[in-house]
Amino acid sequence: MRAILLVMGLLIISNALADPMLGLPPVPVPADNPQSDAKIALGDRLFNDVRFSATGLVSCATCHAPEKAFTDGPLSVSEGINGLTGTRNAPTVINAAYNRTQFWDGRSPDLEDQALHPFLNPVEMALPNHDVLLAIVRGDANYVKAFKQVFGVKAGDITMIEVTRAIAAFERTKVAGNSPFDRWYFGAEADAMSEAAVRGFDVFLKDGRCVSCHTIEQDHAVFTDHLFHNIGIGINNIQEKVPALARAFLVAKSEGVDVDVAVLSDADTSHLGRLAVTDDLSMVGSFKTSTLRNIAVTPPYMHDGNLKTLREVVEHYNNGGVTNEGDRVNDFISGGIRPLNLTEQQIDDLVAFMEALTSPAFVNANTKAENNMGGSK
Amino acid sequence: MNQRRQILKVAGSGFIAGMLPVSLVRLSHGATPEQDFTFAYISDSHIQHMTGNQFVRNWDRGLIRAVAETNLLEPKPDFVMFGGDLAQLGTKPELDHGAELLAGLNYKNHVVMGEHDYYLDLGEYWSELYGDQYYSFDHKGVHFVVLNSILTYDDWTFDRWESGERRMAEMAGLDNPNGSPFMVGSKQLKWLKKDLSKLKKDTPVVVFSHSPLQKIYKGWNFWTEDAEQVQVILKPFAKVNVIYGHVHQIQYNQIGNIAFTSVMATAWPWPYPESYAQAESHLPVLTVPMNRGDPFDERDATGWQFINMHTGRVDLHFNLYSNENRVVSFNEQKGHPEDTSFADAGHRTTPQSHY
Amino acid sequence: MKKLAITAIGIAAIGLQSGAALADEFTQEDVDRWMDQFEQVAAEGRAHWTDGNLGTNGVACAQCHPNAANTHPETYPKFQKQLGRVVHLWEMINWCLRNPLEGEELAADDPKMIALQAYVYKERRGVKLDPGKH
Repeated sequence: MRAILLVMGLLIISNALADPMLGLPPVPVPADNPQSDAKIALGDRLFNDVRFSATGLVSCATCHAPEKAFTDGPLSVSEGINGLTGTRNAPTVINAAYNRTQFWDGRSPDLEDQALHPFLNPVEMALPNHDVLLAIVRGDANYVKAFKQVFGVKAGDITMIEVTRAIAAFERTKVAGNSPFDRWYFGAEADAMSEAAVRGFDVFLKDGRCVSCHTIEQDHAVFTDHLFHNIGIGINNIQEKVPALARAFLVAKSEGVDVDVAVLSDADTSHLGRLAVTDDLSMVGSFKTSTLRNIAVTPPYMHDGNLKTLREVVEHYNNGGVTNEGDRVNDFISGGIRPLNLTEQQIDDLVAFMEALTSPAFVNANTKAENNMGGSK
Repeated sequence: MNQRRQILKVAGSGFIAGMLPVSLVRLSHGATPEQDFTFAYISDSHIQHMTGNQFVRNWDRGLIRAVAETNLLEPKPDFVMFGGDLAQLGTKPELDHGAELLAGLNYKNHVVMGEHDYYLDLGEYWSELYGDQYYSFDHKGVHFVVLNSILTYDDWTFDRWESGERRMAEMAGLDNPNGSPFMVGSKQLKWLKKDLSKLKKDTPVVVFSHSPLQKIYKGWNFWTEDAEQVQVILKPFAKVNVIYGHVHQIQYNQIGNIAFTSVMATAWPWPYPESYAQAESHLPVLTVPMNRGDPFDERDATGWQFINMHTGRVDLHFNLYSNENRVVSFNEQKGHPEDTSFADAGHRTTPQSHY
Repeated sequence: MKKLAITAIGIAAIGLQSGAALADEFTQEDVDRWMDQFEQVAAEGRAHWTDGNLGTNGVACAQCHPNAANTHPETYPKFQKQLGRVVHLWEMINWCLRNPLEGEELAADDPKMIALQAYVYKERRGVKLDPGKH
């Protein structure tokens, strides 16, 4: 009897251990795009379909590769058709469902809208318009059958609305919690995190000042405040150019330049960040707070991928928003950034903590993650 | 790559009116559109010396940011006002450091005296840097007056304290019961009357003052003891605007013919007097308060502003970091300043209705 | 006879209460003295609030919180975004000591921390409790 109870007890515990959503809130699903297995499968196909590109070789998965934790590490900036480079680092799809805006500068309000843009961007898939994509879909018998089943539309009535809804539904299944941190903090497993990571969590909450933007809550953690901050990446190198650049960009924008195209075509313009979207002077050089989940397996870091390791990232913050200590802090730096005066030990521990945020499914992601494994314990 | 060339080409083509959203909105009410213009306003930087070459980083960054963003304004403002309290304790290092940061502005700068600049040495070093403590000037048909409105009773100023340092320290505490109410004083009242006497009554008048020229809350010196006397001198004029600092928060009001608007501090926010449970205070009822700040973000609830003068009225644009910008504009029909977005309680967001 | 005995015991019992020191017995003088002690601690709290010595950069609590305004002590415990969980007032005071004042934390029972809280609550006297309010 006792043996049976013991086994049952272990089963219950191991079930709790195996909850992949531990530490995550429920996935937000819009009312007009409910999940279904068939829709998710359709989205999966669309996500991986290389025909939706000018060369027939690039799909979403090219830059958001499943085996690379849905990024394209170790690339700093992504490469689209013909190896054309953009200016920004591919964010992971994992847990993107929780973001209140999409893209580094938040120019898309949701996953559905985000999916529209890369198809048309000249350095990504470079299609001249969405009709090319829709023609392929409407001419593919399997797609036609799937769209009929999921959305009840005939071939000729398939639009980008259905296409992007399916892609978004697939992306909403790419959520993962249950990292060593989740098990330790929310699951009360006292030895789920290393001692260094435990110390690092204290740095995260206190001397590191990380928690205010990379937020955690009482019973879950998404590690982002969904806001936009200038932390001195990119903009530091163009400080003298900012007045002329900001003026030129906003002039061009009012004359019809597409923001999505402009920010990926010129590195300096890209560094303007959220300013390009809202025209708000106080958003110069500001980018969205990314989640820290799976951060150890999604290098390199920042909107331009110019920081290669987590240690470099922490040092950038420790210096008060400059990569090399003593560099000039840019005038528009976020009010939350300041020199931290962390010790070497604290920096190592903070890195160890961030390494404890990887979900089990992505621990082996092939993104040259071994570069990040310095400094723990 | 084509896009890039296009962007750079347009940049060389010069001024394009009304391009940037933060630029001047030229409203022609038919009167004299060529007299519309913009000026910027930065205030209350409170540069605070620690030791040696070290100043409180938080307040330094506030002023640096305001200067940098003001320099981005397009079209360019005609001039910039600094609204007072450049320094925290009025010391030479503080005033010098503040002046150095302000010198980054690409425009002509006029300065208003604040109590934190004044009480160490009664404005002696400040005057070496900036000249007269009260004065007036005309610009595009508007008469501008700058008052030193942070003076106080003679015995407090001259007889009460054993040193300038002590006197400054006592005045520096906003809630210090040993403080003394601000005033303009009889000398300036006489001067103001004379200065305005030659003006036509329909000349727009703008008064820059550090203290509010109203009586809002005495406990924090949101107060001018001779406010009514100043208001009487301004009464004969059709269009009068008072712009004041000191309060580190959004406030606006209409008293008779005078529209009052405060400006934000670049350093830190003050709470609204309402939030002090033990005192009765009088925040102007028209005011839609600024949002509560997140103390983690050192720039939240701070800001700078630019003012569009149109037909002699003030349109004040508050540039608030990490917040929706606010515009307080004179509503001709209602006859008083009004927040253009949030005056209607139904339009408020959660942070505004849940203070 | 029994009635008399009971009454006598009753009177004796009352007599015991009015003469000896029991746990719930204190005088108006005691009350005044203890209130005084609170006021002293609150006054110490006021001094710490304004002197700029709690941190390392000379910034005083009173610079952003004149008369302890805008501290909302009646809303604690509550979820505090800057700390990531539900906390009590003293933990937020520590946050301020570490962040805007660039100083060190105090223990919950440190006399300075108690004094600071005494001052904050004193300035907020009379306001209804509203725990959890953001």
